[in-house]
Amino acid sequence: MRALAPAVLAALAFAGCQRETRDFRTDPPVLAALDDVAPLPNRIGGAPPDVYVALGQPYQANAYALSEGKRLYDGMNCKGCHADGGGGTGPALLDGWWRYGPDIVSLYVTLRDGRPRGMPSYADKLNSEQLWQVAAYVQTIGSYRAATAATSRNDQMQSRPSENRGPARAPLTEPPSR
Amino acid sequence: MGLKAYAFETSIRGALVAGALLGSQTARADPPALGLETIGRLELAWTFRTGNPRGHAGAPAVSGDSIFVLTPFPHALVALDLQGHERWRVVPDSDPRAEGLATGGGVTDGPVLAGGRLYLTTLDGHAMAVEAATGRVAWDRAVASLDAGETLRNAPLVQGGRVYVGSAGDDAGARGWLAALDSGTGRELWRRLSTGPDGEVGIGPQFRSAYPTEAGADLGVRTWPPEAWRQGGGSPGPILADAELGVVVYGTGHPAPWNPDQRPGSNRWTSGLFARDAATGAARWFTPTNPHDEHAYGAASPNLLVDRPWRGVDRKLLVHPDPNGFLQVLDRETGLILSAKPIVPTNAVSGLDAGSGAPVRADAKRTHADTMTRDICPAWTGPVLAEPALSAETGFVLLPTSRLCMDLEPRDSGVIPGTLSIGANVRLKVPAGPAGALVAWDLEREAPAWTAEEPLPLAGGVLATGGLAIYGTLDGRLKALDARSGRSLWEYRAPSGIIGRPVAFTGPDGRAYLAVLAGVGGPLGQAARGGIDVRDATAAGGLANAVRQAAYRDILGQGDESGSLLVFRLP
Amino acid sequence: MRAGRRLAIGVGLGLGLGGCSGSQSALDAHGAQASALRDLMGLFTVVCGTVWLLVLLALAVAVWRRRASGREPAEPGATSERRLGIVVGVAVALTVLTITGLTFASYRTTRGLTGIADEGVTIRLRGYQWWWEATYQDQAPERVFRTANELRIPVGRPVRVELAGVDVIHSFWVPSLAGKQDIIPGRQNEITLKAERPGIYRGQCAEFCGLQHAHMAFLVIAELPENYEAWRSAQLRAAEPPADPEAARGRDVFLAKSCKACHAIRGTPAGGVLGPDLTHVASRETIAAGLLPTTRGSLAAWVADPQTVKPGSKMPLVPLDADELRAVSAYLASLK
Repeated sequence: MRALAPAVLAALAFAGCQRETRDFRTDPPVLAALDDVAPLPNRIGGAPPDVYVALGQPYQANAYALSEGKRLYDGMNCKGCHADGGGGTGPALLDGWWRYGPDIVSLYVTLRDGRPRGMPSYADKLNSEQLWQVAAYVQTIGSYRAATAATSRNDQMQSRPSENRGPARAPLTEPPSR
Repeated sequence: MGLKAYAFETSIRGALVAGALLGSQTARADPPALGLETIGRLELAWTFRTGNPRGHAGAPAVSGDSIFVLTPFPHALVALDLQGHERWRVVPDSDPRAEGLATGGGVTDGPVLAGGRLYLTTLDGHAMAVEAATGRVAWDRAVASLDAGETLRNAPLVQGGRVYVGSAGDDAGARGWLAALDSGTGRELWRRLSTGPDGEVGIGPQFRSAYPTEAGADLGVRTWPPEAWRQGGGSPGPILADAELGVVVYGTGHPAPWNPDQRPGSNRWTSGLFARDAATGAARWFTPTNPHDEHAYGAASPNLLVDRPWRGVDRKLLVHPDPNGFLQVLDRETGLILSAKPIVPTNAVSGLDAGSGAPVRADAKRTHADTMTRDICPAWTGPVLAEPALSAETGFVLLPTSRLCMDLEPRDSGVIPGTLSIGANVRLKVPAGPAGALVAWDLEREAPAWTAEEPLPLAGGVLATGGLAIYGTLDGRLKALDARSGRSLWEYRAPSGIIGRPVAFTGPDGRAYLAVLAGVGGPLGQAARGGIDVRDATAAGGLANAVRQAAYRDILGQGDESGSLLVFRLP
Repeated sequence: MRAGRRLAIGVGLGLGLGGCSGSQSALDAHGAQASALRDLMGLFTVVCGTVWLLVLLALAVAVWRRRASGREPAEPGATSERRLGIVVGVAVALTVLTITGLTFASYRTTRGLTGIADEGVTIRLRGYQWWWEATYQDQAPERVFRTANELRIPVGRPVRVELAGVDVIHSFWVPSLAGKQDIIPGRQNEITLKAERPGIYRGQCAEFCGLQHAHMAFLVIAELPENYEAWRSAQLRAAEPPADPEAARGRDVFLAKSCKACHAIRGTPAGGVLGPDLTHVASRETIAAGLLPTTRGSLAAWVADPQTVKPGSKMPLVPLDADELRAVSAYLASLK
């Protein structure tokens, strides 16, 4: 009995050793099925593909997928228009206002098909898994969202908390009117 | 404010109608012109709301009793009479994709009136001619390709039966070009690129540079790594013409991408000044001002042509406020730099090398891939974004300046169609002291005659008339100063920030008018209307960082949801 | 049984000696820097070995000359005290002298590693997870180009390698040519190579940098200067338009699919910078950072399923049908 308590504690401690799973390889049929979103007719909102649900929504809460999304966000020149989420030529992503809806399906459709006012289509630049990764990352940029996983923010400029952890300031609590 | 302005406006309208009735009966004797004595009596006659929230740069065109306004993208060309009533309106088809390439807020310039026609360019790449009397579209040509990342931002130049149009799109990696169209039909006469082989650039036997560094075959290819000139940038800035010399003069934009390590070499013919034969487009001379541009300065700032004695000799001068902070005075026959003096605090460039005309860069402010260089002055936006003016009464060049600095970290950036390959982390900074100033530059002494400091950078053009300097500010103040001393004479608070240029004219009724577009935007005013999130310091080309600083914060939320044309009149 | 054990020991020793030669061995030096390091290593081995032997000898003598049992501890006397003092003093002096000498030798050698004349070649090398990007620098910008995972250098000329990184810490190590130098994001490090004779030398990332650290290798190919110049001018050319229809179709597939977003091929609109420049990919000996030899088959295998070949690599699986894959591999194999 006396030996049991330390054994249980040790077992609990070892439970902490379990690592987040990283699936590097997605089978081509799964890749194809991941593209099978069903957006609503106005291309805002809709249902994710069945396989996305079957896989347990693997991108939004997976730190590796999010960090890949961030890497691609940089590499695909998203920063050229949206900066690190503050916007510029493109709309801000940090402020929690989304022209085409905050849900992951809308973001996926935005990335895949583009949007009329200058957002290009990435269907010929990224595969479906990468699109999900970027969509998941972009979703974490927006404030007012609790998540179990988040990437670190760029620290080249200065060291401070990531932008989406900072408090929103007064002028930004009103919706941008453009 | 809004309600008050409305009440004011209606009462003015009433007075106007009464005045017009009165005026028809009693002939007035010689109405006063706009000048130092009369400016205090200037009153708002009427306003016209454009319904477009974007940055209203440039100036309206005026002819007889009509005012023509080109609103920002998606454009509408509106003709108004001098009472503010709409005569007609042309709304060209627009391609909304252009918005995604409209860096720096995507402001476009006003229409140009010549020979009874209005010539204009649209952000989505069309050049158009419209009959001023009827609003009928005479011709409409797609000259720039959005697929290649090209847009049109500057007003065309109309001269000698030709319409000169320059592309924009340095940040999208588009090769810059200048094209000449036939003003009657819109047919393209020639097109010359800013990078590439001599044949495409228009370098031929006519080309004589004042500097030996410009001699050599195919420098537009050989001063780049292999094939990099194909994404070279170098879009033309505002174009000026000298009919006597038969040249058009303009500055070219910065090379693409921002990261200088991706494009070693002097990157011809970006970031310099070109003079081209007006008829054939053949290059006459080129003077580099920021070769191997490390700070995305370019040289596409608005210039002035000035004819005056220079050190005892009558010369044809080009006054070029370079984005690197130096005001350069060139001989526009040869491209030789006669003088270069800083007009704002600078530290990126310490002076000019006499032999090559190239800037001498300070080692501490050079930039390299993945390396942060702090406190570079001036910022990439350059000190002068809008048209300077020559004050005829004083001989001073009136320069609207901004004094921003920046932190810059260039990063590798690929060429991906439809995206902006800027690939840099940049933050604009407001240095200690005022962020802007109207500088009256004395060309004789090569020093400022006076400086009117401003808490915000100046982003709108200056009007010099009747011994006055009239300009607008980002927080919506329209100001008139005495051009001789800089003394403030008159101020009016507009409903939105001003990045446009005021114009003065005399109406058919003989009265002096002043018109200006208010509608904040552009690279320095983009934050005024929200839409960017200032928690990210790099937003809007780093503007967000400046807006966080006290001096700049006041402009947040100052933007009106619609730009407007304000028309003032002397009673 | 005993024979078996002998055999095992013999094989073990033989395997150990295997490290003394080959394309990736600090003991098989083919460059000035590596030779200097090898000599330094030799000097240290000889000096330290001698010291070790002397100490062991002294220890053995001390053990051998054991005192007679039961005698009282030695009386402290003036004579023995002085003798003891002299022995200790001499030993300390010798130690200081040896260490000073070795320090000096080491300082001299490492200083000699970085000297470079102006006529040398400068390469900017960036480490990525998990491949290498090399940019050949030149005074004339038209002679600057990017390549990946393979450095060609002229024999007998010093080559300065400027090391930069963007993601994590890597380390540049070509044991046969030079020592090791870390690549630290945000810092500029450099190392000088000078190959004395032509050959192919293998290099390897020597700082654990993630999952595929072991497959982050590269080749340094030292060539006669005329061969090097010929190679360099070939690399400067844009990619030839494909000659046969299959390769032409492969180019179309390359430009239509997502390949172009990450890879650049000079002479085509493809201008990505996330992955290696593929303008002359077929002229390189290996692909995927030293993982596979460059053949059309291995190119096809890599494109078809990169995550099976190199799990975790940043190359995604681009869905292609069999014809497209054949065409793309034909095109890539034609990029000599």
